[in-house]
Amino acid sequence: MTAPPDAAPSDIAPPDLLPTLEHRLLAIPDDKFLEVVQLLERVRDHPDVQQTFASIRPRLVQMRPERRPTLKRVLCMPFEDVLESFGGADVPLGRIERRAIDPMWGIIEDCADRHALDQLDRQVQGVAPGDHNGMLNIGRRLWPLAAQTLRSVMESDGSRHVLWRRLHGDEDLRRQVIDAAVFLDIGLSIEALKSDLSPKPLPELEDRHVAVIEQAAQAVARQNVAAVYSLLLVAAARLAAPADLLRVLNDLDLGKARRDQPVIFAQLSGLVVSNLEERTARLEPKAGTPSTAVASPEAAMALAERLVASVATTNAVMDLLNEPIYRERLEAVKTAVGAMVTGAVLDTASDGILSAIPVPKPGAAPVVDEAAQAAAEDHARALRRCEGLADTLGLRQAVSDTLKRMGQGVSVRAQALLKDYPQMAGDADAAESAELNLFYALRLLELVAGPAKADPLRLAILSAIGESPDEG
Amino acid sequence: MLKGAIEYAPSTFEERGAAVAFTTPLLSQTRVRRGERSKLEVLIPSLSEGMGTYVVAWKSVPEMVSMTMHDRYLHDLIVKEEACSPQEIRRATLKAARRGLAGPQAAQAARRALEEDEEQGTLTHYLLLLAILKAVGLESPEMLKAGIGTEEGQRLTRQLMARAADSLKLEANLLYARLAEIAAAVAPVGLTQSPKPGRLLRGMQELKAFRQSMTSWSNEVPSDAAPVAAFCADVAQHTIGIGEKLLTDFQRRVDAIGPLMRAWETEFVVIRSHAQRMAWLLDGWSHVTAAWDVAQTEDRHQQAATINDLFRVIPLLPKKESREDMLGAAKRIKSVHRRSVRMLEDWRTGEMDMDSIRRIELVKARAP
Repeated sequence: MTAPPDAAPSDIAPPDLLPTLEHRLLAIPDDKFLEVVQLLERVRDHPDVQQTFASIRPRLVQMRPERRPTLKRVLCMPFEDVLESFGGADVPLGRIERRAIDPMWGIIEDCADRHALDQLDRQVQGVAPGDHNGMLNIGRRLWPLAAQTLRSVMESDGSRHVLWRRLHGDEDLRRQVIDAAVFLDIGLSIEALKSDLSPKPLPELEDRHVAVIEQAAQAVARQNVAAVYSLLLVAAARLAAPADLLRVLNDLDLGKARRDQPVIFAQLSGLVVSNLEERTARLEPKAGTPSTAVASPEAAMALAERLVASVATTNAVMDLLNEPIYRERLEAVKTAVGAMVTGAVLDTASDGILSAIPVPKPGAAPVVDEAAQAAAEDHARALRRCEGLADTLGLRQAVSDTLKRMGQGVSVRAQALLKDYPQMAGDADAAESAELNLFYALRLLELVAGPAKADPLRLAILSAIGESPDEG
Repeated sequence: MLKGAIEYAPSTFEERGAAVAFTTPLLSQTRVRRGERSKLEVLIPSLSEGMGTYVVAWKSVPEMVSMTMHDRYLHDLIVKEEACSPQEIRRATLKAARRGLAGPQAAQAARRALEEDEEQGTLTHYLLLLAILKAVGLESPEMLKAGIGTEEGQRLTRQLMARAADSLKLEANLLYARLAEIAAAVAPVGLTQSPKPGRLLRGMQELKAFRQSMTSWSNEVPSDAAPVAAFCADVAQHTIGIGEKLLTDFQRRVDAIGPLMRAWETEFVVIRSHAQRMAWLLDGWSHVTAAWDVAQTEDRHQQAATINDLFRVIPLLPKKESREDMLGAAKRIKSVHRRSVRMLEDWRTGEMDMDSIRRIELVKARAP
């Protein structure tokens, strides 16, 4: 589907064809994909197009193309850090679900000053994709208008029909709309903070970051003490380890919100723990699927390391403040992470690592599969990374057994390749492939067992191929 | 075995040694040179936080440091081939990477690099042949039309080259031999008229981009590593300055192929020496620029760590090549650098740092 860039919306594939094209949109090259996204943007209000956007969202999230600014997009800026991501295993703190956006926007369209909204809509159409300042200028006027509208609708008896029509009595959605209004109240402060706490996720909370959080909190407290919590949620959500904020929270001077500090701490720490629980709950395999929710052993280890680090920080903060109630819950989180590591890295090691080493077939030329080798190496590295978490997750024995088993398995397969090697004499191409397979097996042994244990295999290979090192 | 830490202020490129693309983090980009009694030795910068450089007998390295399988293979190869010029080290490095011991991506990159070398050699040879014919006024549209790969094209070429040899008062065989010699010397740099720059010329372009990027980073990022980045940009700038002068003279001499053939004894020596000097000048930079490329997708924290890693291996110019006191400047920077350096502990514990090795292998996959 490659419509020319200047095609009119009607020239694009009819919307009823879109559902069948969705899977193709995930497969086409990046540049074509961006072209199609640009075209679809122009008819994005059509239900089928919205459905298409929902199904291609994982790729949109991955590629992050500059999207055409709309009022709805500007509306979401202050709370985008707490918006629930699509399909990912990570869950933001104190989240607002994406399903809340449309009802929220509907309420604003129904009840806000029509003239002011139309004016802002005309302005936003003149803002170029990626023009952050242009969007901020719209937000400066839209956010207070939206916050006031949402709040007055929520509080007024006369608006019950609007609420019913948009929220269908969903109390959870109602809570999220009220929360969103607070983020909108302090939209400008949040935007300033986001720029200081960049990039997201912030790998380390440094002193300068703590200073800007403190200043922002004081400024927000002067405006609305209750909104400080929302500001801190955004700050925590931008950190690689949100629990890091807990570590410094009690040393912050929150200005006018000083008296609320213990409550804020309790809320935030409860939220951090619940968030960890929720993130680990998502790691469990869904009914009917055999594997875990993570994409690869490497991704599993990266996630496990993040979660364990968060648990450790949270544990330390809770211990310091004598909050034993959370310890059990944090232990449960660690158990879930351990189960995920076992399922995604340890149990799958034989398939992931050993199967990359080809088994010689009599009379057949050796085949080198470098994609399989790369995947096996990633798996072996993930397995070695498990060692770092083994004690914390109670997996010391399991990790050690798996590493030993893999070392033995690789050695056995490598010996089979060595034994088969002389059959390749006389065929240069076959010999080269066989040698490459031998060296790739050596590399896997090095990764799972270390260079000292791999060295005898290296010497055996060099001897077999006539490249023994010089003596002395 | 270990001669103790020395203050490392080499006078010449040969004394500085050629960088070896090892994958063991401690040995990454250490330099090999010919020491006393022509024995190979390796220069390992600051084993811990110290200021010095250690000079170690090449054969003793495996006893001192726990090396990766790739490095043991490369180490043996360098011993066997007695390699110690950038060209020889590169050949050995590509052979080791092609074996797959630095991973499939590095193996693929090494295969591509070897293919490119071969293509560049053939292209340079062909372009030089055309340049010689043009220099003696024997340009032949028929030959170009027939193409050098066809029988007819080759017949025409032989005919024209015989006439060119006459015109230059040379035996045809000698002309062919000289042509091959120039092509071999010039191919790594490439010819002005070549549609594709040689790898050393590409290296210069990458170095310019690196200098620009380091300067911007040092100006824009509030970090302890900012002065280190500025220093790296400065070293790159001095290297570019020398490289550009060298390149201008090199290209002028190669372009004048008629005079080159006539004054072969004196001119070719200069051209070959210029090409070798370019290789020495850029030696070690491909790792630096590729490592910085890899860091472009990372956050600034990681980028700062990369800059500090690069400082440890940045190719400082030898004293005879630059009037700037680079060692003095490096020492001043070191006080800042020491605070945020990633420690290389593996040499003490014998444990391999898998993440660091992976990073080095990713760089190797970019710059084999």
